[in-house]
Amino acid sequence: MSFEYHQPTSVDEAVSLLQDHGDDAMALAGGSAFTLFMKLGLISPGHVVGLGNLEEMGGIHLEPNCLWIGALSTHAEIEKSPIVRDHHRTIADMFARVATVRLRNQATLGGNIAHADPAQDPPPTLIALDARAVIAGPNGYRRETPLDGFFTDYFSVALEPGELILGVRVPLVAADTRATYMKFLPRSADDYATVGVAAVARVDHDGLVASSRVVLGAVGPTPMRAKRVEQALLGQRVTPQLLAEAASLVRDEIDPIADARGSPDYKREMARVWTERALTTVTA
Amino acid sequence: MTDHQKRASHTRSEEGLVLDQPEYRIEGRAKVTGSATYTADVRREGMLDVSYARSMYPHARIISVDTAAARAMPGVHTVLLGSDVRPFCLGRTLQDWPVLAWDRVRLVGDRIAAVAADTLAEAEAACDMIAVEYEELPGIFSPEAAIAPGAPVLHPDSDGYRFLRGIRHPRSHPNMQGEGNHEHGDVEATFASASQVFEHTFDVARTIHGHLEPHVSAVWMEGDRFHVCSTNKSPFRLRDQLAAALEIPAERIVVDSEYIGGDFGGKGFSIDEYVLIILARTTGRPVRYVTRYADDIRAGNTRHAARFRMRTGVDARGRIVAHSANIVYDGGAYAAGKGNPALMPAGGLSTLVGYHLPAVRVDAMCAYTNNVPGGNARAPGQPQMSFASESHVDLIARSLGTDPLEFRRMNAIQIGDIDCNGERWGDSTFSAVLDLLHHETHWDRPPRAGRGRGMSLGARSSPEGGLTSDLMISVSAEAQIQVLTGVADQGGGAHTMMQRVIAERLGVPLDQIEVRKGATDVALFDLGAGGSRLTPVAGGAALAGADALSERLELLAPGRPVLAQLELAARSGDIRVKGHFEHEAGLHCTYACSVEVEVDRQTGQVSVVDCVFVADVGTVINPLALRGQLVGGFVSGLGQALMEELNVDEGFVTTPNLGDYKMPAMPDIPPIRIVLLTEHPGGGPFGAKSAGELANVAVAPAVANAVHDAVGVRITSLPITAEKVFAAMTATEPGTAN
Repeated sequence: MSFEYHQPTSVDEAVSLLQDHGDDAMALAGGSAFTLFMKLGLISPGHVVGLGNLEEMGGIHLEPNCLWIGALSTHAEIEKSPIVRDHHRTIADMFARVATVRLRNQATLGGNIAHADPAQDPPPTLIALDARAVIAGPNGYRRETPLDGFFTDYFSVALEPGELILGVRVPLVAADTRATYMKFLPRSADDYATVGVAAVARVDHDGLVASSRVVLGAVGPTPMRAKRVEQALLGQRVTPQLLAEAASLVRDEIDPIADARGSPDYKREMARVWTERALTTVTA
Repeated sequence: MTDHQKRASHTRSEEGLVLDQPEYRIEGRAKVTGSATYTADVRREGMLDVSYARSMYPHARIISVDTAAARAMPGVHTVLLGSDVRPFCLGRTLQDWPVLAWDRVRLVGDRIAAVAADTLAEAEAACDMIAVEYEELPGIFSPEAAIAPGAPVLHPDSDGYRFLRGIRHPRSHPNMQGEGNHEHGDVEATFASASQVFEHTFDVARTIHGHLEPHVSAVWMEGDRFHVCSTNKSPFRLRDQLAAALEIPAERIVVDSEYIGGDFGGKGFSIDEYVLIILARTTGRPVRYVTRYADDIRAGNTRHAARFRMRTGVDARGRIVAHSANIVYDGGAYAAGKGNPALMPAGGLSTLVGYHLPAVRVDAMCAYTNNVPGGNARAPGQPQMSFASESHVDLIARSLGTDPLEFRRMNAIQIGDIDCNGERWGDSTFSAVLDLLHHETHWDRPPRAGRGRGMSLGARSSPEGGLTSDLMISVSAEAQIQVLTGVADQGGGAHTMMQRVIAERLGVPLDQIEVRKGATDVALFDLGAGGSRLTPVAGGAALAGADALSERLELLAPGRPVLAQLELAARSGDIRVKGHFEHEAGLHCTYACSVEVEVDRQTGQVSVVDCVFVADVGTVINPLALRGQLVGGFVSGLGQALMEELNVDEGFVTTPNLGDYKMPAMPDIPPIRIVLLTEHPGGGPFGAKSAGELANVAVAPAVANAVHDAVGVRITSLPITAEKVFAAMTATEPGTAN
């Protein structure tokens, strides 16, 4: 295949290129998913907009009450960033276990989100931590939207034509809020998760669950937020029985398919097991 | 010391230093620095790229093929159809695979038309324009369905297929690729008198080889000869297969190879070279084809899926007295990839390998289906058979309340005992490998709480008797010993092995010996890699060549040191000797394996935490490559045990890439302790034995046995997925999983 390659020097230039060429254009960041899909013949853009020069999409730094991670940050940069490690250890640890070191050195945060593969690890984790995507549109337009709800279907996100993800803002959390991301890899460490669970919870000094978020990956067309699990926990005293009962509700909140990683029934059971394990960790 | 050992040690050079040092791979620097060239790197002026239009259906009649649009596409030189190549069929033993399908497709991805164009993109674009009209036919997706009443006959013209190795065995059903049986002893009477009889059924999934380099080939004309560069590891055999299929004299075909990027049994079979020869002739241009990985998986060759029904009787003391096995292999759409005349996996009838079996009945069959063809894969048939046999043996020992190691010790073949094929063994090292396993694992100490331990035992016969290998040795003007071999090194280290054998024998520094691979027109005949034969057989040729050279040098300068003789030989010129070796069969390489696992009781996930592999390898020639073969084979076995399965749904492969079809990655590899038994020499140079196909055979049953030991459930099918273990635990003990 062949395509025209553009290398804009500003976000606005990139946005107008994407807008001008419409469906025939694709943005290129790390290129890991792009190359895979291109080789499979699933995409064949006539115009490719390389984002590598766009400083506005880079960087990892603290802002008031939140952590900024630029869309062009690679998985490896996020994994190793002292700022991320200090303020959102769960994010750093999660990125450190995505795929392999070769991919982590290449794949970017923005590419990961825009690719919207429901088996990926970062989206559930970022949703559980209430992260928001910062998006650029035509004519200098900027908007910010929660990642919760941003994923609309398999490989689909709520981006309008011409829009670009500039980065994400992750709110900083209080010291008593705990978070984890666990993934179940029964075949190989180098595999997509059979089920991934991100859990965030704050337990108050009376031992009651003050807030929680549970988001699962690889068990539906998008990252799946388990709101019934969260509701079952809210205001309740943490006991092993509570966590087991709440976790068992996850079975009906997901929509797994049969594939080489297991049957839907097995994935539902494993979602329950790993949700319970994740909840145990964040409420301990 | 036995006489054999004395002879073996005496024949080494007095220095004896070469074999005691780890080897330096001849090709190592080129491979590590990236300068090594592979077949896909081969470029010729004016070379065209080739692509195929492939079948969308597992079984269909071809009504029409419209190529007009494709022929009009830019860059297209020619479009070849089945009607252009009829009746040519390809294959290693049975040539049953049309070079291009002319009237019928039998698997998804079957080749219908080939396009040669200036670029790959143009060739692929033109293939997309080829319109094929099909009449879909009912498919056969299991060997049982293939021989059921009313099953469609997949190869109505099979009586006309060319068979390259004698006369094809008669078949009981037209959908049969191969079938066979063996019986010795009075089986039914012995079963009747047995104290207990055990029956179990096992299933093994279809797997792929996993060579990272796909099949690649390039062909061009040199005068009236076809020059074929191929990833095939048996160049001489490929030459003969091409010549037979295309009715071209073998002298007009030259087969050469570059470095081969992984084999694992998959590179003995070629598909595309046949089309390329015709395309090279039609276009007058060099042509090449690089298989896309998904196509290599779905329309190439796989390890056979299989089902085993095992039945064994034991006497009151726990000795095996009678055994029967019914074995069914899914042969897939074509038998073309099978190397042996039985048209079944070569190890396909060898049940309960390594046990003394006074009475045996084995029935085996391999049937046509519309699935991916089964062919040779590292130790064809043996990992499947070993999983069934060693799981079965473990279950028997468990039922009898006998320690599994002691049960095996009691029943393993000793010198003079009879195996499953009725062969009486003149050697046996089972006691020695069992002793080493017992010692290394501290067998009498149970594993740590929560863990389970399982073992397996087995053997591989030395390569069949009568195999020969030849090579040429000459002395250059610089006094270098130059070895010309037809052996294509598929990564096992054969060329380094030859260099070391010759250096050891003559007492010449390694860097004074050059090993070069020659194409089929310059090198002497060699069967190629396969069946663990290179070290014992081609190594034997290297040793014989060294001896022949030594004799010539003695004639030239009697009694002089060899280096001085070589200097003289360099000046005299024209020193050229042949090394010829004919292998004698008879010796066996035995192994014993232990695996320790932890099982997550909530998920069924199996973690392998410790492994011991004891191998009877005889004298070691390449210590690093040997370790590489054993560890690599072990990891391959772990993949087959725990994760590898080529899922095929009604003929469609659902895991056509290495993202969904998982093989072990580096973080998955547990500690593997390799223990070598070297005191029992084999028939190879200095007493070397085969080692390339031992470890991968051993692993899966040891894992199954360890899982049983850990959590009390028996998984009777491969791979042993977490889901299967979870389901079995849930079924046996409600509540365990909660």
